[in-house]
Amino acid sequence: MAAVAPAGPIGPVGPRRSGLEAEAVLGKAYDIRLMRRLARYVRPHTALLVGWVALMGVRTSFELAQPAFIAYVLQHHILGGAIDVLPLDALGYVGLVIGQNLTSFCEQWLVQLAGQRTMHDLRISIFDHVLGQRAAFFDRIPVGRLMTRMTNDIENLNEMFAQGAITIIGDVLKAVAIMAIMLVWDRELALMTFVTLPLLFVIVEYARRAMRTSFRQIRVRLAAMNGFAQEHLFGIRVVQLLGRGRIAQREYNEINAGHRDAYLLQIRADAGMYALVEAIGYIAIGGVMWWAAGHRLIPLGAGQSATQTAATIALIVGFIEYINRFFEPIRDLSAKYAVMQGAMAASERIFQLLDTDERDGDAGDTDATKPEWSELGEGPTKRQLSGPAVELAGVHFSYGAEPVLRGVDVRVIRGSTIAMVGATGSGKSTVIKLLTRLYERDRGAIRIDGVDVRDIPLAELRRRITVVSQDVILFAGTLEDNITLGKPYTREQMETAIRRVGLDRALARRGTGLDTRVAERGANFSAGERQLVAFARALLRDPEILVLDEATAHVDPEAEELIEKGVAELMKGRTTLVIAHRLSTIRNADLIVVMDKGQVIEQGKHDELIARGGFYAALERTFRRQTADPA
Amino acid sequence: MAGARSSLGYLKPYRRAVAGGVVMMVATNLCSAGMLTYLGRGVQAVHDGRVSDVPRDVVMLIAFAAATAVTRILSRVWIFNAARAAEYDLRSDLFGHLMTLSPGYYRDHPTGDVMSRLTNDVQTVRAMWGAGAVHLANAITAFGTVLTLMLMLDPTVAVLSIIPYPLIFVTGQALSKRVYRTTREVQAELGTLSSRIQEDLGAIQVIKTYGLEELRRKGFLAGSQRLLDKNMAAALVRVQLGPILNTLAPLGVAILILVGGRAVIHHDIGVGYYTEFGALLGRLVWPTLTLGFMLALVQRGRASWSRLVELQQTRTDLADSSEPPLAASAQPARVEVRELSVHIGGRAILDRVSFELAPGTVTAIVGRTGSGKSTLVEALCRLIEIPPDAIFVDGRDITRIPLASLRAQIGYAPQEAFLFSTTIADNIAMGYGGGTAIPAARARELERAGAIAAAIDLSGEPKVTAAAVAAGLTRDLAVMPDGLGTIVGERGITLSGGQRQRVALARGMAAMPRLLVLDDSLSSVDAETEQLILGHLRAVMSGRTAVLISHRVAAIKDADQILVIDQGQIVERGSHDELIAAGGLYGELYRTQLQSELGVTRKEAV
Repeated sequence: MAAVAPAGPIGPVGPRRSGLEAEAVLGKAYDIRLMRRLARYVRPHTALLVGWVALMGVRTSFELAQPAFIAYVLQHHILGGAIDVLPLDALGYVGLVIGQNLTSFCEQWLVQLAGQRTMHDLRISIFDHVLGQRAAFFDRIPVGRLMTRMTNDIENLNEMFAQGAITIIGDVLKAVAIMAIMLVWDRELALMTFVTLPLLFVIVEYARRAMRTSFRQIRVRLAAMNGFAQEHLFGIRVVQLLGRGRIAQREYNEINAGHRDAYLLQIRADAGMYALVEAIGYIAIGGVMWWAAGHRLIPLGAGQSATQTAATIALIVGFIEYINRFFEPIRDLSAKYAVMQGAMAASERIFQLLDTDERDGDAGDTDATKPEWSELGEGPTKRQLSGPAVELAGVHFSYGAEPVLRGVDVRVIRGSTIAMVGATGSGKSTVIKLLTRLYERDRGAIRIDGVDVRDIPLAELRRRITVVSQDVILFAGTLEDNITLGKPYTREQMETAIRRVGLDRALARRGTGLDTRVAERGANFSAGERQLVAFARALLRDPEILVLDEATAHVDPEAEELIEKGVAELMKGRTTLVIAHRLSTIRNADLIVVMDKGQVIEQGKHDELIARGGFYAALERTFRRQTADPA
Repeated sequence: MAGARSSLGYLKPYRRAVAGGVVMMVATNLCSAGMLTYLGRGVQAVHDGRVSDVPRDVVMLIAFAAATAVTRILSRVWIFNAARAAEYDLRSDLFGHLMTLSPGYYRDHPTGDVMSRLTNDVQTVRAMWGAGAVHLANAITAFGTVLTLMLMLDPTVAVLSIIPYPLIFVTGQALSKRVYRTTREVQAELGTLSSRIQEDLGAIQVIKTYGLEELRRKGFLAGSQRLLDKNMAAALVRVQLGPILNTLAPLGVAILILVGGRAVIHHDIGVGYYTEFGALLGRLVWPTLTLGFMLALVQRGRASWSRLVELQQTRTDLADSSEPPLAASAQPARVEVRELSVHIGGRAILDRVSFELAPGTVTAIVGRTGSGKSTLVEALCRLIEIPPDAIFVDGRDITRIPLASLRAQIGYAPQEAFLFSTTIADNIAMGYGGGTAIPAARARELERAGAIAAAIDLSGEPKVTAAAVAAGLTRDLAVMPDGLGTIVGERGITLSGGQRQRVALARGMAAMPRLLVLDDSLSSVDAETEQLILGHLRAVMSGRTAVLISHRVAAIKDADQILVIDQGQIVERGSHDELIAAGGLYGELYRTQLQSELGVTRKEAV
């Protein structure tokens, strides 16, 4: 996991960080480094963003024309007594409003579209990234975490677009534009208004810091609280057996209280910021009025004209409108800030996953134009058809520090069946994982037709070898989907395969055919039926090498018989490697390989091994004595 | 618990804070009205050339602005804090209740559903209490004060200029319903995509070995595209919301220009009032908008509340007994099962099962998957409801023994070893009622280390170390970074299946129970370690009654009695040699199942 959550993501590094996990990652609301990486995914949708920015300009113009318009109408028409123009003015104002909102609609739609498409691309990128990882990657990283990255984290990131937090950029633009307009209109009055800005800055900065702290606490405590609850619900049997109900509630309340208290700061900061920003807005308005009354009217003295009064009033009203529009987005800043911070934290986690790369090292020469292996088969010069079909020489492998295979040598003659026998943990299954390159061997050589498996493109290798494991996984869909696995076969081919492995009898009992619905994980199929589906799958793939992990699970005798027939059909004339659990399979094998603690301790035919009187012979004797198996 | 009563019952303990908050909110709106009054007066004074009056108006404006801020902060803080406090109580009650529901309930109700109530529904109810209360009260008082003020200024202008506001309210409510519906659709699509990802991640080895990457990718692509479409459908509604409401609200201003402007020209009202009118209309926009959202929020909150009430009213199907607990004893338990039948979902899982566990003996139970073994064990621990007078411990009917007392006698190690995300030591100590599910490191991280008193280091506790040794954990612990203090699970190290089982076994043994139940609890342990544990186990089991479910010959062949269960009935019983000689189902199971683990056979063979 270390690679997914490296010790030092952004944020203060201190002793408290130890043990903190993904949800504690606290991004800034704007993180340049993350934004730059996100930009790579946004780039294909640049056209949408250009449109968005352009419309933003148009919308802001419509919006900022309104205060000026209102002031103009007040000064020239209302205070000027031009009663006939008022209906036109009202219409003009409505026109500005409609213009603003129409553009706003298009603007938001564009940014949503860009955002959603970016998220779609990002989702696909993560999916491809994850699916391309080696098997060992999945041993280390829990499925739940990968799921969260692809669903919740993407949604959190998407909130940046969905909640319009991304419009913070637009808000800044608008603020600058308002300041410019005010400066042009009346420089002194504008500067007088800006006197409040340092105070505003202090308040916003204080609130931002408080929220940053509080969001981190909330995130950590919420995750802890839900994690605790989920764990206790999931393990309710154990909780009750251990009589921990009361203790659990007490502990839950500790975290629950922490969760509640984490909000106290946020509530204070949020309320404080909203109310104080509003108040400062009105202080600025008061200041404007005072200044305007003092400096724009007094010099004119008692002789001030009506037009000058009107101009001053229009100035005040216009400034009030602009100040309101200036302060409004700042008031909503806290909500947007929360969204941005959540989005940044989510993208931090997503990029951490994308940075954890343990891709399958494919043979360098893979390219899409490579001929299908069946075509390759027509050029036998490429392969030594005289040698063994599969050969392992001095293969070593370890999971971490624990050695699993310690020098394994096995040769499988073309068309023969070899049975691998040994205790759980003796390394049988590992041999198969190395053969199909789910894992990479540490030392030694594994060859197919004399070619090292590392030199065979993965796709080709996995086409030539088909593994049927004892735990058959079916996908939700139809039976046909599960048998063809997306390859085009004719109906006749499918039906033949189904008949040959004996799946037709199971289907006849259900009264359904290839269109049978398969529930998630094949839950509506029995273990025996799932086995038969896997056999039909394998038969259609017609692999050069078949690897079979014989099922140990007990199925009813009738299914047992069916399965045995199915297996026989599948193995016919094919190089087969069986991890054997049944005595009959072992006896009929061309070669028996007995494994123990990662080494081959005996190999030979059944009779030879019996004659040798070693481990296998002793094993077989116990079998016979205790079961009187006539096979 | 407030039961089926209104959810407001939870706010009752905080009624003073809520009442204070509402009073403050009324004050906020009054101050705000005062603020705008002086804004209007100031403008009027400028207009009338009364320059010397302006400073007084400005001072009053600023004073009212400050008062508005203070009262607004107080009202929000008081009400939101009360909502959070009530949320705490609700959560605590719910969680406590969930801990009492029987495992049977959780079989019928997926953890995800229950979690969703504890998280989403509680949040929705809290939003109703907090945001709902604040905005509703605010809207009402804002309308009250602003309308009064406007009517006092000029009834005609007031009535005409608020014409668009009902429209805003209706549109807001309708749109927020559509937002809610489309958001639900997005959630559903997200759920579908999640299932698909889960399926793919679970089948990763098959996908790789069969080269299905492209096929699965295509499916994922389609799913992601569908989510994109749903998201855009939701976005369309959301994106309309702002512009539509923002078009409606300024209509009031347009009407004001027309009607108010005319009134100013006719000298019906002063320009100060005109300005004040504009500002007042602006103050109505937000309450009108939120009123629509908040009504929807309250509706949702009530729906969530009714779901919570339903959960709260679910009673456990395991009736606890109020009779005296089992007498304390150091002697091994004597257990008798008489004609025990258990039906689940109309199907007989156990059918008239009778046997006796003599004190200090070891009984092995074997049978195929689905034969009823695990149900039998659950019945012994009374995790499922059983008929009275079927199981007796020390001669007492277990349905008449308090659950806690019964379970305290039993040490249980299940096959699906469930561990808490805390230290290994804490997990083991839970066997005897010690330990905590919040390890010290976690408590520090949550910054409540002082409060979580139980977070102490148990690595040196003799009961814990002894159990860890007996469960064969010594070698594993030696290579772990913090030994017994190592944290397991998502935030710590990932244990192998065998290691988890052994920690669970240690937990079962740490209790030093009078009855030890091992439910296939060594199935993921390799043969060599199993031998080691079986050696320890014999020592641990001496002086206790033990029940052992296993598929492995080595584990069961020395048992005092072996019970063979098939289709809910005991079909054979006796010792290993007797049953092999009889050549019945045990013999067959032995061949097909017990021997499938060739490693075990090897131990016997050599």
